[in-house]
Amino acid sequence: MAKSVVCIPGQKLCRLSEENCNGNGTYVRNGYVYSSLAGYLCTQTVNDKVLVEVRSAKDQNIVPSVGAIVTAKITNVNPRFCKCLIQNVGQTQLREPFRGMIRKEDVRATEKDKVEMYNCFRPGDIIVAKVLSLGDAHSYILTTAENELGVVLATSDAGYTMVPISWCEMQCPHSLMKEQRKVAKVQQQYIEYADNKT
Amino acid sequence: MADVLLSDAEKTFILHGIQDNLREDGRGCDDYRHMEIETDVVSNTSGSARLRLANTDVLVGVKAELGVPEPIKPNQGRLEFFVDCSANATPEFEGRGGEVLATEISTILSRAYDNPNALDLKSLSVIPGSQCWILYVDILLLECGGNLFDAASIAVKAALFSTKIPNVSVLKGDEGQMELEISDDPYDVKQLDISSCPCLVTLSKIGYFHVVDASQKEEACCLARVIMGITQTGLVTALKKEGSGSLDPESVFDMMETGKKVGEILGKNLTAVLKEEAALGKKRKLVGFLR
Amino acid sequence: MPIDTRRITGPETSQTPYSFCKEPEKKALLDENQERWDGRSHDQMRPTFLRAGVISQAKGSAYIELNKTKVICAVYGPREITRREEFSMKGQLTCEFKFATFSCQLRRQHQPDNQEKDLSIQLLEALEPAVCLHKFPKAQVNVYATVLENDGSALAAAITCASVALAYAGIEMYDLVLSASLRLAGDIVLLDPSENEEFKPQMDLQVNNGSLTVGYMPSLNQISALTSSGECQLDVLTKAIKLCIENCQKVYPVIQHCLMKSKNLEE
Repeated sequence: MAKSVVCIPGQKLCRLSEENCNGNGTYVRNGYVYSSLAGYLCTQTVNDKVLVEVRSAKDQNIVPSVGAIVTAKITNVNPRFCKCLIQNVGQTQLREPFRGMIRKEDVRATEKDKVEMYNCFRPGDIIVAKVLSLGDAHSYILTTAENELGVVLATSDAGYTMVPISWCEMQCPHSLMKEQRKVAKVQQQYIEYADNKT
Repeated sequence: MADVLLSDAEKTFILHGIQDNLREDGRGCDDYRHMEIETDVVSNTSGSARLRLANTDVLVGVKAELGVPEPIKPNQGRLEFFVDCSANATPEFEGRGGEVLATEISTILSRAYDNPNALDLKSLSVIPGSQCWILYVDILLLECGGNLFDAASIAVKAALFSTKIPNVSVLKGDEGQMELEISDDPYDVKQLDISSCPCLVTLSKIGYFHVVDASQKEEACCLARVIMGITQTGLVTALKKEGSGSLDPESVFDMMETGKKVGEILGKNLTAVLKEEAALGKKRKLVGFLR
Repeated sequence: MPIDTRRITGPETSQTPYSFCKEPEKKALLDENQERWDGRSHDQMRPTFLRAGVISQAKGSAYIELNKTKVICAVYGPREITRREEFSMKGQLTCEFKFATFSCQLRRQHQPDNQEKDLSIQLLEALEPAVCLHKFPKAQVNVYATVLENDGSALAAAITCASVALAYAGIEMYDLVLSASLRLAGDIVLLDPSENEEFKPQMDLQVNNGSLTVGYMPSLNQISALTSSGECQLDVLTKAIKLCIENCQKVYPVIQHCLMKSKNLEE
């Protein structure tokens, strides 16, 4: 990736035409594409069009948006909902956590009425969830009502990281105690991603 | 500020009207709404005025008190502005709710008055370096119907016009110290010259055009405005862009031009009306509130 | 006034000794040759030093120096809104403009006074039009500007500095905001006034006496901040605004260069 061209906010990049479209870090005004970030100009071809983007040299400023997959830590569980702190949005780690909330009816897709919060999440669990809505002024509303969403990391009473044994149970490798959780079926590509990272 | 809720369609309606120089209440873009002003409405003050500009209601009281001048200007009195956003106007002002707006109004007013020609502050000096008159100008917002800045400044000017400061004679005491003798005769007073006091004119940018004296609904459509302090001779004593939007330089110059034109007329008319009211003397019928 | 117990407050009221000097040293605006005291020509800015990325904890930061006017600025966020506010789809920008207590001739208090509150609002209104607030719904970006030493044109310096800090922080913006200030005194126009050149209301002079600060977005050609004090004729003021804009355009390449350099250094 050529990192030669440095842009600053308000810099005119090119004319918006049928051959190109604008991506992150840019905006369009009067038929021209302008940069909205201080960073490097990147162009790539997507669907026969040239995608013009500006990428910041620093980590991106990202806030949770509707539909985004987030990684969060459970802080508080009660019969109606549980609260969590959003640590990551997609693959970007946040500098400061945002508060999130999972309501009882958003935990799983089926048998919503039989959900018992304490058998799904415990404080300290790391979960993968999707942003359902921006919620109120306090917290984002998240959902785990998909097979791929739910608890990915949990610690047993004995203090060991548990191994998932079914979609609703995890087992402690040390004490062999089983605990109930809304377990996420983590997709292969993400596991690979985690391996590559370490 | 007390906000009104407007749908996009209503906003478009207002916007289109302004394009044709016809506003939702039938005014042109450079017209003020109907204004009622009365001075000397509160008996305990040195001067007071009440202004009603359509739905906007402002009461201003001026109290003259003796105090110590600032060491940096020992031979001048001073003006102090306080704005009180009463919760009567809107419940949002309760507690500290109106504080931001209040500071904004008082700072722009003090800035507009903060030049040597606006008011003869030297005449407020009693004993240079130790005693002077301090004029506390208290502005009370009773009802918000848009354009608070202009309304407050007009009411302030009227209140200053009606302000009567008792004459003070300085006597040498027995041991060489100064003694003040304040006259208690209600007619032995001095009045202030308000001929170069500025009025604020707010120009709100709506769409591609600008309007003076925006109503609450129009304020909801406006992202950026220019507030100017204009004397009746057309001098600009304060200038400020306000709001979250930005403005094209050309339109700023247009707005300033309009502001000057409107401000001059406003100042002149106000002085004329105030003089007319004062000329009535004792024959004047007090209207007061809701009478 | 509430007393802050964590700080040394000093006596309740105190005065600087300088205001009791017999003959307050009153320097004329210009010297006998109609030159400025620091040897600049009337339309010359002070040498500017600007660097982005001076505070490591902050998301973005910048430091500006115009001879003796020194302003440091930090940007944090987008982060969660801490105060209980109404829900909004737009992000929020907050600005705090602070004079360090020792920055001016007279000592300042820790609690923000009216002038600081006013300047905070002006800084906010200068930056707000430039920031893409819709990019971070329900979150806030905090801008803190601290004047370390005030030798005039502090607001103008703070606006420029804050917009560079925002750009450095990677906050999406439509444009940079540059700012310039001016002093008008009769026929004399002084660009980038220093402390003793700035307009002070106790001076009584002829008309056209005042000062002006303009915030300008060079690429969009928009004025985002405009503030003046003192008494001026309209046409004089109009000319002065144009001059400020011209000056902002002159500084633009320098600021551009500063940002680019800071970005390159990171590689």
